[in-house]
Amino acid sequence: MSKMLLRTTADIFFKRTPMGTFQIRKGLDIKLKGQAAKEIKTLPLSKTIAVAPCDYKGLKLRLSIKEGDAVKVGSQIFQDKFHPEIRILSPVSGRVAMIIRGEKRALLRVIIETDGKQEQESFKKFNEHEILGLSQKDVTTYLLEGGLWPVIRQRPFSKIANHRNHPKAVFIHAMNTEPLALDVDVLLDKKEKEFQLGLDILKHLTKGEVHLCIHARASAKALTEAKRVQIQRFSGPHPAGNVSTHIQYVDPINKGDVVWYVEAQDVLRVASLFMNGAYASERVVAITGEGAKNRYYARTCLGAPLSALVEDGGVNGLRYISGSVLTGKDVGKEGFLGFYDSQVTVIPEGGKREFLGWLSAGFNKFTVSKTFASAFLPEREVSLNTDKNGSDRAIVLNNIFDKYVALDIMTFFLLRAVISGDIEEAEKLGILECDEEDFALCTFACPSKTDVGEIMRSGLDLIEKEG
Amino acid sequence: MSFVEKILKGIGSNFEKGKPLEKLYPLYEALDTFILTPGKTTPKAPYIRDAVDLKRIMILVVLALIPATFMGILNTGYQILQAKDMAYDFGQALALGASKVIPIILVSYMAGGLWEVIFAVTRKHEINEGFLVTGILYALTLPPTIPLWQVAVGISFGVVFGKEIFGGTGMNVFNPALVARAFVFFAYPVSMSGSNAWVAVDGYTQATPLAVAAGTAKGSSVVEALNQAGFTLNNMFVGFIPGSIGETSALACIIGLAFLLITRVASWRTIAGCVLGLLTITSVFYLLRGPEKLAFFDLPPYWHLVMGGFAFGAVFMATDPVSSAATDTGRWIYGFFIGVLTGLIRVINPAYPEGMMLAILFMNAFAPLIDYFIVENHIKKRLARVTARKS
Repeated sequence: MSKMLLRTTADIFFKRTPMGTFQIRKGLDIKLKGQAAKEIKTLPLSKTIAVAPCDYKGLKLRLSIKEGDAVKVGSQIFQDKFHPEIRILSPVSGRVAMIIRGEKRALLRVIIETDGKQEQESFKKFNEHEILGLSQKDVTTYLLEGGLWPVIRQRPFSKIANHRNHPKAVFIHAMNTEPLALDVDVLLDKKEKEFQLGLDILKHLTKGEVHLCIHARASAKALTEAKRVQIQRFSGPHPAGNVSTHIQYVDPINKGDVVWYVEAQDVLRVASLFMNGAYASERVVAITGEGAKNRYYARTCLGAPLSALVEDGGVNGLRYISGSVLTGKDVGKEGFLGFYDSQVTVIPEGGKREFLGWLSAGFNKFTVSKTFASAFLPEREVSLNTDKNGSDRAIVLNNIFDKYVALDIMTFFLLRAVISGDIEEAEKLGILECDEEDFALCTFACPSKTDVGEIMRSGLDLIEKEG
Repeated sequence: MSFVEKILKGIGSNFEKGKPLEKLYPLYEALDTFILTPGKTTPKAPYIRDAVDLKRIMILVVLALIPATFMGILNTGYQILQAKDMAYDFGQALALGASKVIPIILVSYMAGGLWEVIFAVTRKHEINEGFLVTGILYALTLPPTIPLWQVAVGISFGVVFGKEIFGGTGMNVFNPALVARAFVFFAYPVSMSGSNAWVAVDGYTQATPLAVAAGTAKGSSVVEALNQAGFTLNNMFVGFIPGSIGETSALACIIGLAFLLITRVASWRTIAGCVLGLLTITSVFYLLRGPEKLAFFDLPPYWHLVMGGFAFGAVFMATDPVSSAATDTGRWIYGFFIGVLTGLIRVINPAYPEGMMLAILFMNAFAPLIDYFIVENHIKKRLARVTARKS
């Protein structure tokens, strides 16, 4: 009885609807123009692909090949300096065409010319029955060997997991709420078997639970009928789909805890590695944004060049982002797809100067404040470019942030603690439960154009370094 | 590139590095981005940004102050006509009022603006638009008779010691406009209070409603005393009474308030807190009224809302986000105590009939403490979660 009472109270406080859905109230869906059609088109293998060390946060990578070397799918390109067993493999077969270095000879990326044969390095194969009987050690070993360890990331710090840690839970990130994001339902359509196998493999990694975090409206059977995991449903505006949100509502991190998380798409790759004994390099990517002429879901290869994915119709002045407009990376037209990205967004560049802009009524301006006339018009799809719409200023409106953060965080005070370098206070205020991406909407909305995410990232980096 | 852009670029070339006017770059930057939007793009994620910036916010506050400024000008003229026993004429009142008020506003902007530029140049940052608000807020809290040099000294003190000394915009503990006003209030009491200050006619004396109420003898009716002096509720609401330039008209403040609330620039919690606080304390006084008590006790609580600087202070001064509490709960508390303190100072303390300025400054000092307790409470809850999980 008392347990039931406790539950009902919890339901009220956490706003859990009867179905067991976590209803997120805070946040914002930016209805950006340029949604992709939800059909997957398989693209031919591009002529070149890139493997970039900067994608792998938390690793210090060393080259294992040199220019001119022939590589197969699954040949080692990099290994970690401190944990040589963590390997980064080639997603294609062909020849190492170029090793690009930046300042102080820092490795920027390795460009591989494909030969179209896709010859494979072979790894150990397992059948379904064998998979259920594996141990934690086995799974770790084969993931490391098969080059898929980097798909497992940890919180706090959002970096590649340390395989010697024991996570208290593993979260599967199977929903996206960022603008124009890939719909996981489409990705997992008719993939029940593979997805379940992947979950079963990952289940071995923790003594705790595997939480499969899905949208309340998710329809793919792979998600709704998944077994041996805890299905957690979320609804509401972005950031309802962020990993931090899922973790805080389901099983929050306290000091000393580590949880791991994996993208839904990478669960399929894990399954493929164990089932087929080959490094899976396929990636489904939503091609979005009003700058992209054709918008669709592309089945392509890891590290594919954006030029092979996006047709811009010869228009100049576009911004090419691997990822979403909120958290992606500006890679340019000649850039390549990021390791974890399942979306490419192309939007127009801003920078047009407007006469007496501060005085305009602003029927055509998009704002979440109520300072332009457009705020009083009915909601509609918006076209946004990369204009910053203002200059950097000190923070004046100090209480606008919290309504865009779905976490139990006092954003302004956390921000102040980080700015003043007060790590202890920042930890008390819950910085370890956060990631840069959780504050993207704050940065978006801030009239003083404060990069809230970057400040939080610097706080996390400082804690990581000193801790 | 448009015509305007070309002209600006031409002017700008004189302010570039190595050019004679290099040091004054912030001045050019302010002009440049005032005429044309900055046109900068996002260097990293998030790549899209909201259309609002601080310039827009500050301009909206200035727009919200237009009714109060207009009423201030009109009333200043009206009071002069009355003192001279002349018939009221709209145009004449406006012209007379403008001749007194506009110089005060201009001097406030120029003297304060000069300090802004000096600090922007030495600290090498852009000029903050916040000054557009501070400059006019301060001017509107002054009596129309104030000598212009005192206006300049006051705003200089406010900008330098109220804001820049704390590190500039966003860092100040006190509302700079109020610091400026408090400075002239204590430094030049003769110009700032007493019955000579309020009507811009030499030798003409006229008390403000608050002074009348505070001066009413025990045992007599304060409402009657006010009415006799010509201060009916209607009069005080519309604002044709002696007082500081911008604060006499509660109506103008309410129009400004509506604008600030629709655009969500001001925090309704702070304002609601102020009103609630003032009504609470004055209701207590009202309940305690009697022939033995101060006559001021006898004033119905809602009269307080339209008297003195309360409406102006609650809408435009207390709501300054930087110097008020930053938490939602904190804003209720902060506002509530501003209201309570204002009532206390007005009614109980005979030395200062107007309590709003001091109440806000006092609560500015306490705002960080209010926030501190709310944040500590939050931290405690987080800790409780940890221990609950471990057991």
